[in-house]
Amino acid sequence: MRNTRDTQLLFVLSKPGRRAGRLPACDVPTADIAELLPTAAVADAPPALPEVTEPQIIRHFLNLSTQNMSVDTHFYPLGSCTMKYNPKRNERAAAMPGFADLHPLSPDAAVQGMLHVLYEMQQYLSEISGLPACSLQPAAGAHGEYAALLVAAAYFRDRGELEQRRRVLVPDNAHGTNPASAVMAGFDTVAVKTLPNGGVDMDDFRGKLDDRTAVLMITNPNTVGIFEPNMRVIADEVHAAGGLVYLDGANMNAILGITRPGDFGADMQHYNPHKTFSGPHGGGGPGAGPICVTDALAPYLPAPIVERVGSGSSVVGSQESEHNAAATNYPLPPTLYRLSYDRPKSIGRVRSFFGNVGVLLRAYCYIRTHGPDGLKRVSENAVLNANYLLSRVKHILPVPQGDRCMHEFVASGSKIKKEKGVAAMDIAKRLLDYGYHAPTVYFPLTVPEAIMVEPTETESKETLDAFAAALFRITEESPELLHEAPHSTPISRPDEVQAARSPCLCARWD
Amino acid sequence: MPYLYNTPEDQREMLAAIGAESVDDLFAPIPDDLKLGRALQLPAAMCELELDQHLRELASANQHAGNAVCFLGGGSYDHFVPAVCDVIGSRSEFYTSYTPYQAEASQGNLQAMFEYQSLITRLTGMEVSNSSLYDGASAAAEAVLMALHAGGKRTKIVAPASLHPEYRQTIATYLECIDAELVTLPCPAGVIDADELAAAVDGDTAAVLLQQPNFFGCVEDADRVAAVAKDAGALLISVFDPISLGILKRPGDYGANIAVAEGHTLGTPMSYGGPYLGIMACDQSLVRRMPGRIVGETTDRRGNKCFVLTLQTREQHIRRDKATSNVCSNQALFAVRAAAYLSQAGPQGLKETAELCLHKSRYLAEQLCASERFSMAFEAPTFKEFVIRDRDNDVAGLLQQARSAGYLAGLPLGGWYPELSDCLLIAVTEKRTKAEMDALVGVLAGSRHARLAAVD
Ligand SMILES: Cc1ncc(COP(=O)(O)O)c(C=O)c1O
Repeated sequence: MRNTRDTQLLFVLSKPGRRAGRLPACDVPTADIAELLPTAAVADAPPALPEVTEPQIIRHFLNLSTQNMSVDTHFYPLGSCTMKYNPKRNERAAAMPGFADLHPLSPDAAVQGMLHVLYEMQQYLSEISGLPACSLQPAAGAHGEYAALLVAAAYFRDRGELEQRRRVLVPDNAHGTNPASAVMAGFDTVAVKTLPNGGVDMDDFRGKLDDRTAVLMITNPNTVGIFEPNMRVIADEVHAAGGLVYLDGANMNAILGITRPGDFGADMQHYNPHKTFSGPHGGGGPGAGPICVTDALAPYLPAPIVERVGSGSSVVGSQESEHNAAATNYPLPPTLYRLSYDRPKSIGRVRSFFGNVGVLLRAYCYIRTHGPDGLKRVSENAVLNANYLLSRVKHILPVPQGDRCMHEFVASGSKIKKEKGVAAMDIAKRLLDYGYHAPTVYFPLTVPEAIMVEPTETESKETLDAFAAALFRITEESPELLHEAPHSTPISRPDEVQAARSPCLCARWD
Repeated sequence: MPYLYNTPEDQREMLAAIGAESVDDLFAPIPDDLKLGRALQLPAAMCELELDQHLRELASANQHAGNAVCFLGGGSYDHFVPAVCDVIGSRSEFYTSYTPYQAEASQGNLQAMFEYQSLITRLTGMEVSNSSLYDGASAAAEAVLMALHAGGKRTKIVAPASLHPEYRQTIATYLECIDAELVTLPCPAGVIDADELAAAVDGDTAAVLLQQPNFFGCVEDADRVAAVAKDAGALLISVFDPISLGILKRPGDYGANIAVAEGHTLGTPMSYGGPYLGIMACDQSLVRRMPGRIVGETTDRRGNKCFVLTLQTREQHIRRDKATSNVCSNQALFAVRAAAYLSQAGPQGLKETAELCLHKSRYLAEQLCASERFSMAFEAPTFKEFVIRDRDNDVAGLLQQARSAGYLAGLPLGGWYPELSDCLLIAVTEKRTKAEMDALVGVLAGSRHARLAAVD
């Protein structure tokens, strides 16, 4: 039941004299602030925050939360975002005081359990990518792209080639973060054309590849959900031209244990553990953006990296796989793992502290829960679900890429747009009325009226059938109804033009 | 596998509908020679119980703020996290949703972020806030990029040595591949010398950074720093401590143009360094250069007030290589937690928290300096952190001794500042009690007596 009274802005709910938090009395001698700090530095009054009670805060935010769709409440087939189920055991693990209450600058000897997890994560991610060196530092996929491109720049600088290699080639169906990261890393971007199946246009690629190329950034499976048909040739040609291949790992959910970027020619990649390894998306974040690279690029990775000191035994003696099998030895030797800052060629830091550890810890839980077979089963089922849904949807909306896909596919609303004037956005909005989060729309930019669907492996056949049926019904509905959709959500379509033209970005007060 | 639905029968039906022989068939587009052809070398699967036991064991191998007494600071602090933050932060509709592209199905997130932005503008006295960046250091680096763009041909950034070393390192990394230069101003007295700053700043300076209170815990003369920056036509970037604003002047009060902070202290635990909350607020005139998601108020078709992501033409998904930044995923969940934190604190709670930090840290500093072994490294007044010098120059030994007694006593500074290798940075939050501090003093000051006694 909606409660709109308590979802008024906090500033409206505020009343002078109310408060929620109380603090302990000060148990040490105090003095006047004026004696302790220069007057010029001290504010006349504390910031005018709202004055509300604890029950008010809870009712306010919980009622707000019910206005969201989420993975726990709805099918959320948002293409490219891998909105899979977020396991609850991972949440519990990340909240354990032994992890949640760790100070990031603790001495290594005090955090051996944590470093064990992070060291293992470096190993796991390297194994899954086929790229031997790993940095867990970047805070999101885009941050990983940026860090890896700085690594590439440092590598070329070291070889005296950076002046010459100014270009990063980016297929035109790549995610927007790819070209944006390349520019931040100081490169010029060159767009490479792609074909209707999402594959790289080889003529265009060959015309643009030369000795000015530093990096080709490629997404594979690509953003229409197809495994790049010429992957190996492309990688070989980039390497022959002296360039490096960057793999945007946003779509790793399709290939876990099946093929590895390092084996198909990538020199570096990022992961989105918040996609592939089930980190919850948090309404937009947090993510993490660990990167893996070849041995040649390893010296340039951000510092610190977790190192295992000597060949001691494992921190804990619980089940390890054969290759990890280690004698039980607990309590631990004090410094089995340590943070290594001694990396003279490193690009330095891209943020403070170690990384988005809480997200990495959830990913660790996910990998340990699945094991090697389980991860492969994840990808198999993600691909099976996507192909199944494609087989249902292609009769309703054309899927230009063809009959098969990997973990996602892109349907096009251009026919229905032409025939009935119904836009991809109309369909997306109407799906909300049917109780489904909308797919990603208008991305990739290369497919007109793109509707990008990624069901993930954590959905049932029944859900996929029901979603396809809803989509079919929508295409039969009157355009007028669809233009005005959604009809059942807390609000109808917002006026985005007004929002951008006269921005109101914070509550107006007094 | 615990999260998969498809039964063998489902699989058969689905494959039939697809027109595929087998699941392997679906992977036919991947050439055989690129396939792995072996199992990944990873540990075998664990059930929930095994995983839980494994993690508990690992967690118990850590010394943390729950089983040790934490006096560590340097940008991450053991502040109290109220229960409301955990309850709201673990609400599925918040933490399992994605960026609110579909406003109609995301009003909860959008309003919570709008409220966060509003709270941050009030907290900082700045005109606009975005809805979060990764962390304090990368927010500072993004602020520097903003200032460079706003500054046209200006290519110099001046940062004092009193700015967090990891923030300076992050900024240096961000500037390495573009045409800009980071100049570090030495701070031998622990604070910025305004005359030295004035000498370092010129018409080529795009921005001056100021950390308030600074990395050493000292309170800077923000007004003078602001005046120097302004005289040179440079922007002032303030790196502030959100909790300190219960007492100290806000960045907007002393004329900061961009204000950034590490916001984990607003209701998110330390978690070994992340995920955290990068706060960024700025002048209205800079908003179109600001990185990250921004939520705005508008109306829907029925004329109802509502919220939506706005000014998106700044962003990578629209502008690609022309975007103001590459940020896509941010730290939205911690913005929501911060909104909950700031509402539960209210003006009075924030003030009292800040006062407790101030009084308690001053108490600990005095007690330590009462021992012959320790002295304050700097004269400038401090807020919740301070640097003490160990006259015996045995910081490593002190920390080791304290740790075995259950105290994470402070951060050694020698790694970042060789001239401070005999110094410790100690932080005191509202959580620390007199008893804990007295005991720490006993351990630190007592260790000399113990050692001398042992020598005797
Ligand atoms: C293909 C692709 N690349 C990169 C990214 C950027 O990742 P993040 O949002 O973690 O920065 C995304 C995420 O939306 C993506 O879908």
